[in-house]
Amino acid sequence: MSDYTVIGKRVHNIDGTEKVTGSGKYTFDVVLPNMLYGKVLRSPHPHAKILKIDTRRAKRLVGVKAVVTGKDTLGRKQGIWRRFPELCDEEILCRSKVRYIGDPVAAVAAIDEDTAEEALDLIDVEYEPLPAVFDPMDAIKEGAPQIHEGVELNININRHIEWGDVDEAFEKCDHIREDKFKCCSQAHVCMETHDAVASFGHNGKLEVWTSSQSSYYIQRLYADMLDMSESDIRVHNRHTGGGFGSKFELDSAQFCAAILSQKLCRPVKIVLTREEEFTATKRRTPMYYFTKLGAKKDGTMLAKEVRVITEGGAYTAMGATALYLTGFFSSFPYKYPNYRYDGYRAYTNTAVTSAMRGFGAPQSTFVGESQIDMMADDLGIDPVEIRRKNGMTPNYEVPGQAFIQSCGLHQCLDKIEAHINKQGKLPPNHGIGVSAYGFMSGGIFNWFNTPYAFSAAVVRINIDGKVDVYTGACDIGQGSNTTLAMICAEELGVRLEDVRLFSGDTGICPPDLGAWGSRQTLMSGNAVKRAAAECKQQLLEFAAAKMGANIVYDLDIKDRWVHLVDRPERGVSYFDIVKEAIRGKDGVAIMGRGHYTPHRKGMISPAYSFGVQAAEVAVDVETGRYKLVNVTTAHESGTVINPVGIEGQLEGAIMMAGGYGFCEDQPMDDGKILNPSIADYKLIRSLDMPETDILEIDTYEPEGPFGAKEAGEGLTNPTAGAIGNAVYKAVGVRIYDLPITPEKVLRALKEKEKTEKKAKK
Amino acid sequence: MKKQLKFKVNGQPYELFVEPKKLLVEVLRDLVGLTGTKRGCNSSSCGACTVMLNGMSVKSCSVLALQANGAEVVTVEGLAKGNELSPLQKAFLDHGAFQCGFCTPGMLMSSTALLTENPKPTKMQIKEGIDGNICRCTGYNSIVRAVTAVVKGEYKEAK
Amino acid sequence: MSYHCPVCNKVSNKSALDLARHMIGRGDKVHRDWITSKGFKYSELLALQLSSFGGEGFKALAEVLEKETKVKD
Repeated sequence: MSDYTVIGKRVHNIDGTEKVTGSGKYTFDVVLPNMLYGKVLRSPHPHAKILKIDTRRAKRLVGVKAVVTGKDTLGRKQGIWRRFPELCDEEILCRSKVRYIGDPVAAVAAIDEDTAEEALDLIDVEYEPLPAVFDPMDAIKEGAPQIHEGVELNININRHIEWGDVDEAFEKCDHIREDKFKCCSQAHVCMETHDAVASFGHNGKLEVWTSSQSSYYIQRLYADMLDMSESDIRVHNRHTGGGFGSKFELDSAQFCAAILSQKLCRPVKIVLTREEEFTATKRRTPMYYFTKLGAKKDGTMLAKEVRVITEGGAYTAMGATALYLTGFFSSFPYKYPNYRYDGYRAYTNTAVTSAMRGFGAPQSTFVGESQIDMMADDLGIDPVEIRRKNGMTPNYEVPGQAFIQSCGLHQCLDKIEAHINKQGKLPPNHGIGVSAYGFMSGGIFNWFNTPYAFSAAVVRINIDGKVDVYTGACDIGQGSNTTLAMICAEELGVRLEDVRLFSGDTGICPPDLGAWGSRQTLMSGNAVKRAAAECKQQLLEFAAAKMGANIVYDLDIKDRWVHLVDRPERGVSYFDIVKEAIRGKDGVAIMGRGHYTPHRKGMISPAYSFGVQAAEVAVDVETGRYKLVNVTTAHESGTVINPVGIEGQLEGAIMMAGGYGFCEDQPMDDGKILNPSIADYKLIRSLDMPETDILEIDTYEPEGPFGAKEAGEGLTNPTAGAIGNAVYKAVGVRIYDLPITPEKVLRALKEKEKTEKKAKK
Repeated sequence: MKKQLKFKVNGQPYELFVEPKKLLVEVLRDLVGLTGTKRGCNSSSCGACTVMLNGMSVKSCSVLALQANGAEVVTVEGLAKGNELSPLQKAFLDHGAFQCGFCTPGMLMSSTALLTENPKPTKMQIKEGIDGNICRCTGYNSIVRAVTAVVKGEYKEAK
Repeated sequence: MSYHCPVCNKVSNKSALDLARHMIGRGDKVHRDWITSKGFKYSELLALQLSSFGGEGFKALAEVLEKETKVKD
């Protein structure tokens, strides 16, 4: 790799000083003059008709300024799959029917939160409870309660992916496995709950501060629901306390705050409580998997067939995307000559299931990696070897679906194999499990139906040589502000401290689809790089004229030095060129624009990153409890732009993905989530966190800026599978449903003991 | 009936009148105006609201404001001395020990309280020290590395 | 030999079983209505598909399709 001056260096996060001093402002901190506080009243029933809502008592409470219900809205339905109106099925503020415990029915704005909360108890709602259904297999039966009008059998959406001929291929296999798995739900548990401050002016325009992954999506969805022109809505993005997939759809805090504000022309702030966060925001999609795998006895896999039904919850949301991606990533990261996926999403009267980091791939990876280990075991082949035999390689085409350019999977397998061998013989009841993954760098699909480029950026150079970058990309903690600033600085040839970034403000930044599907480094990064390149080109024109070098010489800028590439000692100061260029352009600042939309890049993504993870567990066979000892990951994300950022993403992913395998779950009783508090929702805290080691593999992705591709989500895929495989290696039991709790391990150990005793007799 | 609350926050004396049911975190954020201290739950389980009360780390959502009468409270805003960040703050920056930053004030306060009480904690003691603070972004290990670096004396205290 | 879907004209060159899979998989109202008109319960066929790999859900439907949709090329 050529020597970069900015990217690849360990730098401070450009928002760092604000975050370590507590001076960074989040929506949680926004206070505006004349502001009111809002609260949302939610359905206690999983399925019911709304017969009557009487708000009179609430309106009379001193301090209450407005009470709204669905009747105060335009009655529109929204959804993120805007291209398919039948999938836009969520009113948010329900008019005639509620479909899950937590579905909003009214909202109050008052002078303070306590008054608003008190007012909720004074709203009289008459419901007619309806029969409800909670399990997707029950939801598709004849006679099951119909959750959405016109949607028979509650089948929300189905997706199919196929290539080759699996039926024919299975005939040729030496060994076939058929297995069933259940992947549970998971809560995002962003430290900052969903919140919004919505402020309608008397000019009819709306300004919103909200914790969000995509200011543009929120702006557009507001426009749909309020029948407003998009440009009359401005969405600000202060610091966002986490997203993980939960914050790029229009939510009840945002919508109710806007409806209340519209009535009063005063700002209204709604902050969801942690309980609302658990019960009434979206969550990871639970999936029932049926998967059939066929191989030759040497371990070559010939066919895979997958059938999935997902628990959709009450509305579509991004659940359709999760359904599609789980099917696609079930084929990753291996070369299956024959593959078939049939996926179905069923509505249920439970909290909506949608996008969460990994987007269906943590589920498919848990299932696929467990099954391939079982296949390896059946055939007597080493688990790393079977993956090596079938693993994807660079420039591989997934038939009719995707073209994989860069792929470092095999180097990752080599590194993990070496790591495992280095551990030598493990103590009793310890085991190391392996799991491999591949993931996308942003999607090519436009279900949102945007007419805009997927990412766009503007770069402006001021007279002092400082650079302003305007990008719609949103930093939700993953460090995109820093990464994009680094890309700009590298491209333009200045230092990181010369760059100032404005992000996620729809009033001044060009649209960007936002932080989801791991798209920003590649897509927003490309847009920023192109905008910076356009600026650089303008500067070099002036430099070329000034230096009068022979036409055969190229010019470049590095570290504020504009120079001849072949004779770097011959150059001029970047700052001087900037002044001359602005003078030459009649006093106009240097500006550049860039944008990026993937074209003709297959059905899923323009680029994929890969990795292999090895997790070591230590199991206590008396209690079934186990400890996560170490998680070592070999991964490749193309050129590493922001190494501190990537390490953070990897370790953070292990906490979240490890939690998915280890302890996180949302048990329900008749649609009621039983553990809606941080005290009761088990997640990994500092003492449970394993030691983490990272083994970087160098690759270069031609599609990405400076060769970069994603890191944040791919790393969330393998851990549950690695844990499952590790438990098996440690004590010989296989758990098929997540999370892998001590109770399940103990039960399985007892079963195993019983079976072994029987066999001996 | 509001009652008088006299206490010091980051060395600054305050005299306020607050309702008996108001929590310390609410008074710090809404009345004193220091929004660095965050709130992430209603069950005193997440640690985002951690401050130091008379030198000990407490979850300010589990303390009534009036219970802090006569006490000295330190929030994240009180860590830096003028324009000089504290060693822990510098270490957090160097080690990337934060991402979204919402839990960071609480993490810094728990770590500061830990090092005030025990300047040479072991790695396990550091992990225990922040076990009451949830971080959904970093996976904790970078935070432990940052605190360890301070323990090793890699950062000088500001004068 | 090919099999023409009576609803959407998709053609399968493989087998009636493959066409049955298409129809059950398509799952939209028009396909479901055709399946129901032949005396099947769509939800039962789908449930079978989602609980076993035997393909029982398709076999019965495939028999009907074999008779009604086969076209000799």
